[in-house]
Amino acid sequence: MSEKLKDSFSAYNPLINFVFFIGAIFLGMFITHPAYLAVSVIASVAYLLTIKGAATMRSLWRYAIIFMLVTLINPLFNTAGETVLFTVFGRNYTLEAIFYGMNTAAMLVSILLWFSAYNLIMTSDKFLYLFGKLIPGISLILTMVLRLVPSYQRKASQISTARMCIGKGADNEKAVDKVDNALTVLGTLTSWALEGGIITADSMRSRGYGSGERTTFSKYAFEMRDRILTAFMGVLILCVVYAGMNGASYVSYIPTVEVADISDFYGLLGIISYILFLSVPTIINIKERITWHILISKI
Amino acid sequence: MLNFKEELMNENKNISRKLINILVIFVLAPLTLFLSWKVGAKKYYLTSVLLIIYTMIPFFLSFEKRKPQARELVVLAVMTAIAVASRAAFIMLPHFKPMTAIIIITAVSFGAEAGFLTGAMSAFISNFIFGQGPWTPWQMFAYGIAGFLSGLLFSKGIIKKDKIPLSIFGGIVVVFLVGPMLDISSVFTASSVFSFEIFAAAFVAGFPVNLVHTAATAITLFLFSQPMFEKLDRIKLKYGMK
Repeated sequence: MSEKLKDSFSAYNPLINFVFFIGAIFLGMFITHPAYLAVSVIASVAYLLTIKGAATMRSLWRYAIIFMLVTLINPLFNTAGETVLFTVFGRNYTLEAIFYGMNTAAMLVSILLWFSAYNLIMTSDKFLYLFGKLIPGISLILTMVLRLVPSYQRKASQISTARMCIGKGADNEKAVDKVDNALTVLGTLTSWALEGGIITADSMRSRGYGSGERTTFSKYAFEMRDRILTAFMGVLILCVVYAGMNGASYVSYIPTVEVADISDFYGLLGIISYILFLSVPTIINIKERITWHILISKI
Repeated sequence: MLNFKEELMNENKNISRKLINILVIFVLAPLTLFLSWKVGAKKYYLTSVLLIIYTMIPFFLSFEKRKPQARELVVLAVMTAIAVASRAAFIMLPHFKPMTAIIIITAVSFGAEAGFLTGAMSAFISNFIFGQGPWTPWQMFAYGIAGFLSGLLFSKGIIKKDKIPLSIFGGIVVVFLVGPMLDISSVFTASSVFSFEIFAAAFVAGFPVNLVHTAATAITLFLFSQPMFEKLDRIKLKYGMK
């Protein structure tokens, strides 16, 4: 677990993290019922609050701007709908299209919010743990690239410092010279990198790369709690999908707004499962925080 | 006899690879389109992303099936890392992204498959730094196809290693392929309707960024492609690579 992030959910097996985010993002793209969208936005903000605290609130205005823009721009292109509010350039600007725009905007914002949590939790090592067996060659390349990029960045700055020392830097020059200088640095870097790469490759071969099954090291275990959580999340996803197949999350905006009732059996089943599923990481974090406080207070 | 056996095995592998490709293109893709039409709720973004992922699967699978050797893996890793790190070398010139140019150079030097993989992986990995999002599959596809196309056209002899035609080609690829593809992805994520107008609007809105991207690609290819080919050829010669 990272020290900067106060997140207990990321201490679970990467498979759990990945399934959760894929579930949240795909269901979020698929279900556009306003109640579900509201749940998705609120749950993602709540989760971000438990990870990053007040910093989340400060970044929310950006999402608000995206929401407003997408909402207001959509009716300019979507002229269908019965309730015409006014006309722009001789085209209808309708109430239904605004609702539809809000819907699209809420979906986009919720997906972006989930992705911003994904970027904090699903670090590259977790991704490689999950896909290392499935695509061994590609994952090996990904591992190498992730290690090479910072090393190349260091080397690039060394090269440009060295060039500056012999008076070939481009500090106060024109853009053309800057580009030329940067490209020379990049070329030098490429030569150096490929030479080093060949040595790496030959060393890999002489140590027997490709001669047998490759084993991988990972610090992740699939514990009992992971199994329980997998089953729990699986059941919830199935409930949401099942309710959705029975029309619980039906919504249509054009020509008139039609929204499925969420107070009948399927409606309740769908929305409650959705709320539970999306609050899994938040609940885990809050539970862990409370346990921690109780433990501290006992000391 | 042994050779014959090996050939037979290769033949089998080829067949299973083709089977997967056929399965993906002729079964999975139409099924997705059918389901999307059947659900009828206009899941444009989801459908398009699934289709994009299906198109990329055969590239990655055929690479894995081939059991690539250490040198091939390392060269791909190095070129991808250079493409990703190239942004750092241009830190003083914002929006100047030489990544596409480096992908094209890699594709011309190492072939269409290497071009696709370098393109797709550069997009994917640079998003570990800049943030993954709904745009990731589109970016992977756009850069991957740019690399694939460059490699393919070079091997067919349609584009040459000369710097002026190559930089014109690079510009065309960005203006007509990579740029529009990224604009389309933003339409798919942020619009509720799809018409000629909205795509036109997206292209107009994306034009300034595309212009800088095009210029960066063409300039990089003009100034950098020849020294780069020299270096890559030297490495190939020095270490006896194909």
